Amino acid sequence: MTYMPGEKPYPLLSVRNLSKFYGKTMGCHEISFELGKGEVIGIVGESGSGKSTLLKCIAGRLTTTNGSIFFNSSYGFIDLCRTDEMLLRKIIRSETGFVTQNSVEGLRMTVSAGGNIGERLMAGGMRHYGQIRKIARQWLETVEIDAKRMDDLPSTFSGGMQQRLQIAANLVTDPRIILMDEPTSGLDVSVQARLIDVLRKLVARLSLSMILVTHDLAVARLLSHRLYVMKDGRIVESGLSDQILDDPREPYTQLLVSSILKP
Amino acid sequence: MMDDQMDPILNIINISKDFVFHHQEGIRIKVLDDFSMRFFPGQATVLTGPSGSGKSTLLKMIYAGYQIPEGKILIRHKKEWVDMAKALPSLVYEIRQHTIGYVSQFLRVLPRVSALDTVIEPLIARRMETGKAEQKGRQILERLRIPENLWHLSATTFSGGEQQRINLARGFVAPYPLLLLDEPTASLDPANRKTVMDLIREAVQDGSCVIGIFHNRSDQKELADRVIDMSPNMTSQPSSQALEV
Repeated sequence: MTYMPGEKPYPLLSVRNLSKFYGKTMGCHEISFELGKGEVIGIVGESGSGKSTLLKCIAGRLTTTNGSIFFNSSYGFIDLCRTDEMLLRKIIRSETGFVTQNSVEGLRMTVSAGGNIGERLMAGGMRHYGQIRKIARQWLETVEIDAKRMDDLPSTFSGGMQQRLQIAANLVTDPRIILMDEPTSGLDVSVQARLIDVLRKLVARLSLSMILVTHDLAVARLLSHRLYVMKDGRIVESGLSDQILDDPREPYTQLLVSSILKP
Repeated sequence: MMDDQMDPILNIINISKDFVFHHQEGIRIKVLDDFSMRFFPGQATVLTGPSGSGKSTLLKMIYAGYQIPEGKILIRHKKEWVDMAKALPSLVYEIRQHTIGYVSQFLRVLPRVSALDTVIEPLIARRMETGKAEQKGRQILERLRIPENLWHLSATTFSGGEQQRINLARGFVAPYPLLLLDEPTASLDPANRKTVMDLIREAVQDGSCVIGIFHNRSDQKELADRVIDMSPNMTSQPSSQALEV
């Protein structure tokens, strides 16, 4: 999966030597990887390993210190780190989706559930009210939320429902890439199971291209084709998900895998 | 026996595999040492040998579920030879979808996913229409004696034997040119054991190459075109050829 600059076909995303420092503190360092269309990669590692920092750099939520993020956008194969602010915002808004661990951050709590979904469509230029409601209803059903709740505020939803709403609001505009930061954390196990099931079906049905940051290795195995293991801001091991989890080579990955409690 | 004129489906060349346990005093265990062998369509091969002799490891390496640090595992996929040690991940997934089937020892059960959906997943992945896939799924579940009232339940609550039959149904619901079976008859009652043996024989008759691990001597005898003894003293011979019995 090595990509030479200029080579075609372009991958969907090519991250090259990406580093992010917070002052003198390293967030992530010299990260390089690629994502193909229709591929899901998982980034695993414990808290503080730099995985969320990396994701936020790709999402344009943090400015990078060094390196490039090439993205195969509708404006061409461009380096998001060297794109002017206006175009960057446009691309981030219409061609990427970002699902956060904290749904309060990812949803507008003072806007109805249907509104949270419809907002994206309107930002994309859709104006027909009936059409917007119809699509919003379909998406609520897809993520297993009763369509009767369409006009309710997300603040009246349970944590699991909020997360599913966040996913619907992100997928409705059919973004080229979906970024997910610990989408299943902080939920009860049974609630998690439903969310994971919804995600699994969406990945299969829509052939999503996705980067999933998680510390949950079972979720990572279920949803990702490939895994990257991060430690202290660097990638220590990568490969097919089952290879990494069933045949880990690096000491840190072995520790990570062997530390899981099996019920 | 297969003659050399026929094209193999799988050609394993000089693979070695060791495991290093960094957190257990760095113990290094060599499981496969310079192993080579060819496998042909319409052939059933049984792997035998004591636990730890590398039988499961070999199957997992062929499936690329374990890394392949040394040697080549060449598989004929859509008339092209592909080295599983070097194939890009997307190609490995495609090969797993169409060319190599693998029935693990234990089913990885998912909550909220029905037994029927678990079984037909390989067909859906091949873009078969859902109704047709479900029909095939029902047939194989029936054949493996899974009561109909269980089909729409998640297999999480099933017994070990039932889970293994779901796993087998999933493995046999779609045809594969190469089928890897890790102890498929363990934990089955005699009637289901016979059904599984029939399914294996039918797959071989249809031209599949089957490689399986069986501990039961009569299973071995009944199925095998050849038996490969993976005992360490057998496979570490300088000829690098495992003994064919």
